[in-house]
Amino acid sequence: MNQQRDLLASRLPVSLITGFLGSGKTTLISQLVRHPDMNKVAVIINEVGEIGIDHDLVSMSNENISLLANGCICCSVRTDLQDTLRDLFAQRRSGLIPEFDRVMIETTGLADPAPVIQTLMSDTLIGAQFRLDGMISLIDAFHGLNLLKNESVANKQIAMADCVVITKTDLVALEQLDELQQAIVQLQPMSKILFSLNGNAQPNDLINLGLNSSRVNNNTLYFLGEDLNQLSSDGERYLGKKQALHDSSIATLSLRFETPFQWQAFSSAMELLSQLRGPDLLRVKGIVNVDGKPIVVQGVQHIFHPPVKLDRWPSDDHDTRLVFISRNIQVTAIKNLFSAVGAVVAH
Amino acid sequence: MYKMSQPAGRADQTLSHNMKLLSHHELNGFGGLGEGMGIQATSDGRRILWLAHESAPKNFSGVDVTDPKNPKVIVQTELPHMKLRSNSLDVVGNILAVAYQCSEPGLKPAGVDLFDVSHPEAPKLISHFDCSGPYSRGVHAVWFVDGKYLHMSSGSADFQPHNQLDDQFYRILDVSNPSKPVEVGRWWYPGTRVGDSAPQPTRLKPQFDTGFRAHNTNVFPQQPDRAYIGYIDGGAFVLDISNKSDIKVATHWNHSPPFNGFIHTLLPLFERNLWIVSDECVQDDGKDWPKLVWMIDSRDEKNPVPIGTFPAADPAVFAKRGGRFGAHNLHENLPVPTSFVSDTIIVGSFFNAGVRIYDTTDPFAVQEIAYFVPGAPKLSPAGAIQLNDVYVDERRIVYTVDRFTGGLYTLEMNI
Repeated sequence: MNQQRDLLASRLPVSLITGFLGSGKTTLISQLVRHPDMNKVAVIINEVGEIGIDHDLVSMSNENISLLANGCICCSVRTDLQDTLRDLFAQRRSGLIPEFDRVMIETTGLADPAPVIQTLMSDTLIGAQFRLDGMISLIDAFHGLNLLKNESVANKQIAMADCVVITKTDLVALEQLDELQQAIVQLQPMSKILFSLNGNAQPNDLINLGLNSSRVNNNTLYFLGEDLNQLSSDGERYLGKKQALHDSSIATLSLRFETPFQWQAFSSAMELLSQLRGPDLLRVKGIVNVDGKPIVVQGVQHIFHPPVKLDRWPSDDHDTRLVFISRNIQVTAIKNLFSAVGAVVAH
Repeated sequence: MYKMSQPAGRADQTLSHNMKLLSHHELNGFGGLGEGMGIQATSDGRRILWLAHESAPKNFSGVDVTDPKNPKVIVQTELPHMKLRSNSLDVVGNILAVAYQCSEPGLKPAGVDLFDVSHPEAPKLISHFDCSGPYSRGVHAVWFVDGKYLHMSSGSADFQPHNQLDDQFYRILDVSNPSKPVEVGRWWYPGTRVGDSAPQPTRLKPQFDTGFRAHNTNVFPQQPDRAYIGYIDGGAFVLDISNKSDIKVATHWNHSPPFNGFIHTLLPLFERNLWIVSDECVQDDGKDWPKLVWMIDSRDEKNPVPIGTFPAADPAVFAKRGGRFGAHNLHENLPVPTSFVSDTIIVGSFFNAGVRIYDTTDPFAVQEIAYFVPGAPKLSPAGAIQLNDVYVDERRIVYTVDRFTGGLYTLEMNI
């Protein structure tokens, strides 16, 4: 058998850590970088000074890359993220800084995370070396509900997240925490939810959120199987009908197609949808049956990861299954779009 | 205090990217391995990795790698004297072929042994093919993949080279009757043998003159009328062996001069009309740098064109890390069921720069996608790892060996 490379597996996984101002990101990151399991992780931070690592510092390779005693590499953003990622890779490649197997990036509090993802996808040098593992969003237990009702960026950060960390859990009563958790599930039912007090977090809980190989493994089932199989069309897995606890225009749409697609029909429909409604497609992921073969697709707004052809189906279910977390889009509209484009594409 | 500047330059550091160490075995204190590696699938369901030692006193070892996380040495054999090395071996079914090379011409035993390893714990000698002679050091490398022919770089009793460095040439043995191997073909670089009508080849500068002799002599079932030969300072040859008793040069390519000689392996990628050519570094501390892996366009067999080299590990970091630094053996897509085969992924051993894996999908822009550089093995005279050879099995497990003391490393690739 002529063996080929798994393009996904050999790229360095990148995790994005987002969170609204005051969500406890700095506290979490300053704890995280000192954790023994952060050996071989490079963390890109906006302001290294803020996390107070002076006592843990073993050495610095230059003004923006420092090594901590546990083997964690702290790197502050210099001009922009693109340069910083390129620089990190080049220095690692030439043996100038210690090996690292993973990158975590702190995004600024107000930032819309989509452009950071776009950087990873669109820069060919970076795209060839790194892959997005997942987005981790922090939300403060005390202000969380309020933010979700009033701040669209906070809603977006949760809707796009693969993992949500609820911080400052000691500041609220259990009922309030439960309500916030329900709001998060309503907004993003596919995300993993963690709780953190005083910035405590286990690095292993924050990684392996994304698809890590085009060869089907346990992680593939985790990434696709459970979520996509259990969602109902309105995404309410845990809850009965309830008043929305967040920006009520955001909904989870779950679609299933029994007939296999031709790639051209599927990609044209997705392109059209993202051209027309890109800003409202907060998160899309799924498995598509293309002429019988399983293809994983995922995207954030108008940015789509390169489609990944799996080596086999992860389960007996060979239907196309897609989940959209989107704003003001009806599930029937998407279904109709796919069938209309499918009918136009020549067979 | 930990110096952050150039950690890769520190020989005690293990470096890895997309490769995970599954196990390390020092082979019972005899961890100096040559360039002979082969995997036998036994009738009782085990897989035995056969390893040739780099130097005496050990001859070859059999390691049960059925569970690559827990390799077990099941047999380790002795050489008859200290001026002998086995260096190379191959296994087909239950027959193991082992090369013997002496440190001085004229010594014995020099040649090839065939063993029956159907009971791997007790290899049984089937035959010895003698290649000794007044100018012969015996056999340096064997290629044995079909059970019928054995291709080798060997001296011979009737071969007198002008220069002792040119003593080993290409020979083919018919081993279809393993108890009576018979020579059926030979070829040497014209002008190297006393009595040749061709002029003697022009040698490289004395510090790089390593000889006009054969190293790897590979023949694949996809193209049974061609032998792919690394002829050290003589370059890379493709020989037409359609008539084994009258072997002709099909084509020839050499980068030296101006480069520093020692072409070791020519690995053809048949479907893609490409050749991968590897050099061997033979001097310490980067003295013969650059020793590279080359990408050759072979669409026109008569006009092989180099189109690039594999991105090498940074000499500024590795050249002085200890011992040799540069290319050596490649995993050669052996046409046997227990070998990894890929026409895009190339795995090589690079002495102190470890084992490295490349994606050649774009032959003009080969990418390095994984590596593993073990920290310096205990008691290594080089003071750094010296990975000498590499073999990848069809389960995608990578086996690599140190030249001095480190023994065997088994690795998993995340590619």
